[in-house]
Amino acid sequence: MRFIFLIVFSLITFNSFTQITFPVNGNRNPSNTIFAFKNATITTSPGEVLINGTLLIKDGVVIGVGSGLQIPSSAVVYDLKGAYIYHSFIDPYSSYGMPDVKSLGRSPNPQIESNTKGAYNWNEAIKAETNAAELFSADLKSADGPLKNGFGLGIVHVKDGIFRGTAALVSYDGNSDNEALKQSRVYTAYSFDKGTSRQDYPSSLMGIIALMRQTFYDAQWYKTANHEKEINLTLDRINETENLPRLIEVDDYLSIYRADKIAKEFGFDFIFKGNGDEYLRAADFAERKLSMVIPLNFPKAYDVSNPYDAMNVSLAEMKHWENAPFNAAILAEKEISFVFTTDGLENIDQFLPNWRKCIEVGLSTEIALSAVTTNVAKLFSLTSIDGTIQKGKPANFFISSAPIFENNAVIYEQWINGSQKIINNRTTIDIRGDYDLNIDSKKQYTLFIKGSVNELNATMQDGDSTIKALIELNGNQVALSFSPLNQKEIMRLTGHVSESKSRIWAGNGLLSNGDWVKWGAIKKADFADLKKKDTATKTPLTRGDIWFPNMAFGSLTTPQPKNMIIRDAAVWTNEDKGILKETDVLVVDGKIAHIGPKLDLSIIYPKKMPEIIEVDAKGLHLTPGIIDEHSHIAISRGVNESGQANSAEVSIGDVVNSNDINIYRQLSGGVTTSQLLHGSANPIGGQSALIKLKWGETPDIMNIDSAKGHIKFALGENVKQSNWGDRKTERFPQTRMGVEQVYFDDFYRAKEYSDLWTLYNAKSNRDKKSAIPPRKDLELEALVEILNKQRFITCHSYVQSEINMLMHVADSMGFKINTFTHILEGYKVADKMKEHGAYGSTFSDWWAYKFEVNDAIPYNGAIMHKVGITTGFNSDDAEMGRRLNQEAAKAVKYGGVSEIEAFKFVSLNPAKMLQLDHRIGSIKEGKDADIVLWSENPLSIYAKVQKTIIEGAVYFDVDKDVELRKQVAEERERLVQKMLLAKKNGSKTQKPGKREKELYECDTIDDEGYEVN
Amino acid sequence: MNVILLMMRGMKLIKLLLFVGMSLGFKQVNAQNKSTLILGTKAHVGNGEIIKNAAIGIRDGKLDLVMHSIDYRLDTTKYDTIIRLYGQHSYPGFISPNNELGLVEIEAVRATRDADEVGDITPQVRSLVAYNTDSKIIPTVRSNGVLIVQATPQGGRISGTSSIFNLEGWNWEDAVLKMDDAIHINWPSVYNRKWQNGTITYEENTKFESQVYELNSFFKKALAYTKVDFVLEKDLRYEAMRSVFTGDKKVFIHANNARELSSAIYFIKEQRIKSPVLVGAYDALLVADLLVDYAIPVVLRRVHELPLREDDAVDLPYRLPFLLAEKGVIFCLQNDGSMQAMGTRNLPFYAGTSAAYGLNREEALKSITLNAAKILGIEKEVGSLEVGKFATLFVSEGDALDMRTNKLTVAFINGKMIDLSSHQKELYERYMNKYGLEIN
Repeated sequence: MRFIFLIVFSLITFNSFTQITFPVNGNRNPSNTIFAFKNATITTSPGEVLINGTLLIKDGVVIGVGSGLQIPSSAVVYDLKGAYIYHSFIDPYSSYGMPDVKSLGRSPNPQIESNTKGAYNWNEAIKAETNAAELFSADLKSADGPLKNGFGLGIVHVKDGIFRGTAALVSYDGNSDNEALKQSRVYTAYSFDKGTSRQDYPSSLMGIIALMRQTFYDAQWYKTANHEKEINLTLDRINETENLPRLIEVDDYLSIYRADKIAKEFGFDFIFKGNGDEYLRAADFAERKLSMVIPLNFPKAYDVSNPYDAMNVSLAEMKHWENAPFNAAILAEKEISFVFTTDGLENIDQFLPNWRKCIEVGLSTEIALSAVTTNVAKLFSLTSIDGTIQKGKPANFFISSAPIFENNAVIYEQWINGSQKIINNRTTIDIRGDYDLNIDSKKQYTLFIKGSVNELNATMQDGDSTIKALIELNGNQVALSFSPLNQKEIMRLTGHVSESKSRIWAGNGLLSNGDWVKWGAIKKADFADLKKKDTATKTPLTRGDIWFPNMAFGSLTTPQPKNMIIRDAAVWTNEDKGILKETDVLVVDGKIAHIGPKLDLSIIYPKKMPEIIEVDAKGLHLTPGIIDEHSHIAISRGVNESGQANSAEVSIGDVVNSNDINIYRQLSGGVTTSQLLHGSANPIGGQSALIKLKWGETPDIMNIDSAKGHIKFALGENVKQSNWGDRKTERFPQTRMGVEQVYFDDFYRAKEYSDLWTLYNAKSNRDKKSAIPPRKDLELEALVEILNKQRFITCHSYVQSEINMLMHVADSMGFKINTFTHILEGYKVADKMKEHGAYGSTFSDWWAYKFEVNDAIPYNGAIMHKVGITTGFNSDDAEMGRRLNQEAAKAVKYGGVSEIEAFKFVSLNPAKMLQLDHRIGSIKEGKDADIVLWSENPLSIYAKVQKTIIEGAVYFDVDKDVELRKQVAEERERLVQKMLLAKKNGSKTQKPGKREKELYECDTIDDEGYEVN
Repeated sequence: MNVILLMMRGMKLIKLLLFVGMSLGFKQVNAQNKSTLILGTKAHVGNGEIIKNAAIGIRDGKLDLVMHSIDYRLDTTKYDTIIRLYGQHSYPGFISPNNELGLVEIEAVRATRDADEVGDITPQVRSLVAYNTDSKIIPTVRSNGVLIVQATPQGGRISGTSSIFNLEGWNWEDAVLKMDDAIHINWPSVYNRKWQNGTITYEENTKFESQVYELNSFFKKALAYTKVDFVLEKDLRYEAMRSVFTGDKKVFIHANNARELSSAIYFIKEQRIKSPVLVGAYDALLVADLLVDYAIPVVLRRVHELPLREDDAVDLPYRLPFLLAEKGVIFCLQNDGSMQAMGTRNLPFYAGTSAAYGLNREEALKSITLNAAKILGIEKEVGSLEVGKFATLFVSEGDALDMRTNKLTVAFINGKMIDLSSHQKELYERYMNKYGLEIN
C-alpha cells in the first residue's frame, strides 16, 4: 500500500492524468492510447453533422473532433469510411444494475405497520431513503440489449414504492462499478404505485395521492421540528434531495393532471414518465409546459380475424393502437419537451424500430436524437455529460453502418468511457451476390447469397431446380452445405473468400462418398438490395382522429353551450307551480333565463336578439337534470381507502376518471350531476367529488367548482369488516361499540389540532419564528372543516341504533350529519333525524343482501318524506344510475308519494343534500340549465330520455346517439380492416382480450396493485 | 318425502309418483273447495290477447271461465265468491326462471346460502329439498305479481337440478309445481377474468376446449351408464342424468358470449339434447338464426343490466328483447345477477322496459308469462289466463308492468287467494302508526 501511495503522490504533479484510488494487481496498463476514427460521418450533436470527420479520443475523453484534423502518429487509426458516429443514447428511466424488485403478491392478512427495519418512514411504500448509486452494480448481461439499441448510459433507480429515492447516472460498460457510476443523485423518483409494500395503507390511488401529499408536508415540518421524539431518516433524505429534479411515473394521462396538481401545491415541477397516451391531451400539457419521459411501447395490432373475438377489443384500444406511434410527433408539434425511454417495451429490440417509426410519422430526426442524448442531459441537468461529441467531453459514442434513423442501420461498436464494445463485426465481408459455382470442374451450379450481412441465406440452382443450402461465414472462411439434386446425402464445401472484394472463393469439398474435391465460385452479379422495393409496398402509417374522450361515443369536439328555447313542453318545475303544461323554457348562457307559455323572444329581446335555437318539445316532458347523491362511477383505481379506520385525507376528487363509459350511459338516463362518493370501508371515509357529467371533458372541467366540500362516513357491517372474511379481524373497530369511539377519538383529536393552530396563529410574527409550527395533518384538517361547517357529511348507515348513535356523537361534538345515505332503517328514527336536521338518501327497494338490511323496507322513502325529511333515492350502482326516474316511481308504488314529490327524490332533494339547490334541482330562472327532455311522464316505465342538457350544452341526444352508434361501428370497421392489413403485411399481433373498468359499489375493497384471479 | 326414497328405484316409478305426488299436492291447496268469479278487469291473457272487461271463473283450483263479460250471462249462484274489480287489470302469475329465491335468504350470511354446492359436476344436488317456503323474501316478491319461481342451484360446471315452485305452500312438497325440471350447465368461458388496479382484463381461457371436452365426455359416460341393465355401483351423478336423456329433464345452458353460445349450440346438437334452453345469451342476436332453426329458446340476461361491452349501444340490454322477437327467437326474462332473490319483485318492470324499447306491451308480458311457462315446460299448467289451467293469477290496480300502477288487489295461486302482506308491509304499517300517519 505504501508504495502505491507514493506513486499516487508523485503523479499529482502530472495532473493531466486521471487518477483512481484502486490498487493494480500486476503491472500497470495505462490507458493513454489515442484512437483516431477517420472518414466518418459524425453527428456531434443533434443537427450538427461532420462529413468526413475525424474523432480523436484518449483515456475516455474526446481530445478532438472535426474535419481535416491532424492525426497524431501515435494514434491507432480506424478508417470508418461510409460509417456514422453518434453520441451513445442515454436512457432516462432505467433499472439497469439495480437489485431485483420482488413482489410477494397480495397479503392474505392485514399488515397495519411497516415491515421495513430501521428508523425510516412509517409507511413502507415511502422509500425516499433508497439511493440507487449505493445499490448499483453493473449487470453486463442485461447491458447487451441497450447497447445494441444505441444506449451507452442510463439513469437508473429502483422502481419500487411511491417515493423511490434518488436515481444515478451509470454507463453500460464493465470495467468497474466505480467507473460505471457517473453521477449519484440525478433526480428523485416517485410513482402512484405502492409497489412491493404489503402494508394495508394506502389501498387506493387516492390514498397514494394523499400519502404523497402528507409526506411532503411531513418533510417540510420535519425541517423545523426538534427531533426529540422522532428521527426519521426517510424525511431527512427527502429534505436533503429537495433540490434535485423530480420524476414521477404515471400509468395514464389522467394521472399527469393528478401529479401536476400535487407539484403545484408544493411549488415544484414534476417530470412525467408517461405511458404513451400523452398525445390525447397534448394541448393541455403544452399549456402547462410539462416535460415528459415517454416510452415507445406501441401496442401490437389485435388479431381481429375472428369477428367474435374482435368484438371484445374496445374502440378505445383500437384507436390507441393506431395513434400510439404518433405520440412523440404530436408532442413535438405542441413543443412539449420530451425524452425517450426503453421502459415499457416488451422486448428492448423494439426500441430502434419504434423510434424510427416516430420519425417515419413526422418526428424530426433532430428532436428524435436529442430525445435520447442532449435533451436527457438537459432535462436532468447531468453534470458530466451533455449528450454531444465535443473536445473535452467523455467519449461515449457508437458507430453505425448507416444513418441511425434508417431501418437498415446496424450498430457496429459502442465506445463507452473510451472502451470499445463490439456489437456487430464492422469488418464482415459482404459476400452477397450471384455466383457460378464449380465443383471438381464437373458440376456447375448457380449460387445465390441473400439476406443481411449478418444473416445470410443461400439457394442454388441446378438446371431448373432450386436447392436450399446452408452458408456460414467466419472472417474470410466460408462453409457451404447442401444436398445435390436427387440425393439424400449432404455435400460439404469449405473454402476462403480470396480477396476483400469477395468475388472469388476457392477451397476443398467433401463428397458424400468421402472423397475430397476442389471447388470454386466466381461472383457474377452483386446483391441487388430489394429494400427500396419493400418501402414502396409498405403502407405508410396514418393518423386517426382523436375523440373526446378517445373511445366509443366520443366526439371530435365536446358539446358547447348554446342558447335555446324549448317550446311547448310539460315542465316539471319542482317549484310551487308544479307541472306547467305547454310551457316554454328559454336557456341563455347556460342558465335558465325565462319560463312561460308562448314566450315571445322579440319582447324579451326588444333590441338585439342573440342567436337562439328553437327546440320543439310538444308532447314531451321537461324536468331538471337527475342528481345522483350516491354514485361510484368514473373513479380510477379504488373507491375505498380501506387501509385505515379514518381516511378523511383522501379525496375522490383526485381520482375522477373522465373516460368512464358509464358517464355517457347515465347521461342517456337523464343524470346531469353526481356525487362520487368514497366507499364505506371505514367509519370516516374520504372526500367526495361533485361532478357534472360533461362527457368528453377533463375531470377539472367536470368538477363543480363552486360546490362545498363533502365527505363520506360509514357505519355498520362494512366498517367493522363483517363480510370481508375471517382474516380481517384486526383493524379497530370490529363492533358498533368501537365505531362510536372512533368518532369521539378523531373529533377530539381534530379539536386539539385546531387549538394548536389557533395558538400558533395567534403568536406574533417574531414569536412564530422561534416556535415550531404544528404538523399539518391532512386527515384532521378535513375533520376541522366539518367542525367549522365547511364540509358536509354523507353517512352510509343501515340500522337505527347506529344512526341514533352518530347523531348523538355529532350533537355532543358540535357538528351535524348532513345526509344519511342508504339509511334503510331511517323510517324507524325519522323523528329523531328530523330533529337533528339530517337529510335521507335511500334506495327505493334494496334489502336482504346482508344481515343489517333485514328490516329495510321499500316504504322507507315514503315514511321519511311524510315525517318531513328531505328524502332522496340514489343509485350506488352504475346500472341503476341510468334509470333513477324508475326508482323515483317506486315511491309512488310503495307508500303513495305524489308523482311531483317522487320526482324531487332524484332531483331537487339531492340538490339540497349537495348544498347546490341554489344552482340545480329545479326549473327556475337563474339556475343552471341542466335539463332533461322525456318522451313521456318521466316516472312512467315507458319514458325515454330525448335530450340531456348541462349548462345549455346538449350532452345526450337520442338522435345523435343513433349517429354515434353508426360512427362507432364505422370507426371499428375501419380499424379492423387496418389491423387485418397490418397482420397481412407481417405485423405482429396480439390476441384480443377484453378490458373493462371495475364497477364500484360501496363495499368494493379490492386492494391496490394486486391481481386477483 | 316418499319421492326421494323412490328416486333410486328407477324412472318409471318416479314418474308415477311424481304424478301422484303432484295431484295430492293440489288437493291440499284447494281443500277449501271454493269457487270465485272475478268481474270487470282488463284481462291480459298472457298469450298476447286482451279481454277488456273479463269474467274469470276459478273452481277447484283451476280456471273454469275466461271470457268477455258481455258474452257471459251473470249467474252469481254458480260461484261462492264474486269479486268486482272494474277498471283494474288481471294477469296470469308472473314466472321467474333461473332464480335462487328460496335457496338464499341473506347473501352476506353464509348460513343462509344454500344455492352453491361444492364440486364441479353435481347434477344430483336438487334445489327441491333446500327450497325454503318460509323465506321472508317470498311475500315481497309475490305482492308484485311474481307467483312462480324456478329455484335454481348456482355455481360449478353443472350446478344441479332445479325445481319450479308456486310462491305459496306450507312446505316444499306443497309448493312444488314441477319437480326436478332441469339441470343447469355453466358453459366454460372463452375468457378468464383478471383484475388489476380496478381494471378487469379478460384473457383467453386456454382450457376452453378441454373444458368443453370434459362436458362432452361426462354426457357420453352418463349415457353409457344409463344403458346398462344392471348397475353394480350407483353413481348419483349419472343417475341424475337419466331423465335428461329421456327428455323429461331440460338442460339449461348458461352462456353469454357469442363463441360460448355457438359452442353450446354445437354441443346441444352433438349430444342430441332433447329439451335445451340457453340462459343469459347476451350475444343471442349473433346466433339468432341457429336458435330459430334448432328451436332453442332463451332465458334472456337481465334487462336492467349494463351492456357487456363498452362499445355496445347504451340501451342494448333494454332493446334486446325486441331485437330477438324480430328475429323470431323464443325468449323469456329473468333476474339473474346481483340481488337476485330480493330483486325478483322487479321482474314485471323488466318487461315494462322492454316494452318501452320496442316490444309490443302484450308481447313483453308474454316474456314473463306464457313464454316463460313454455320454456320451463309448464305451459299446460300455468302461464296464461286460459280455461283448464291452474288459477294462478292476480289483479292489479293498473298496468302491472309500470311501477306506478303495479299495486296488487288480489292474487291466487292454484285458486287459493294468497295473503299479500309481508314483513315489509307490517313494518310499514307499524311505523306509519308510530308517527300517526295515514296509509293511503
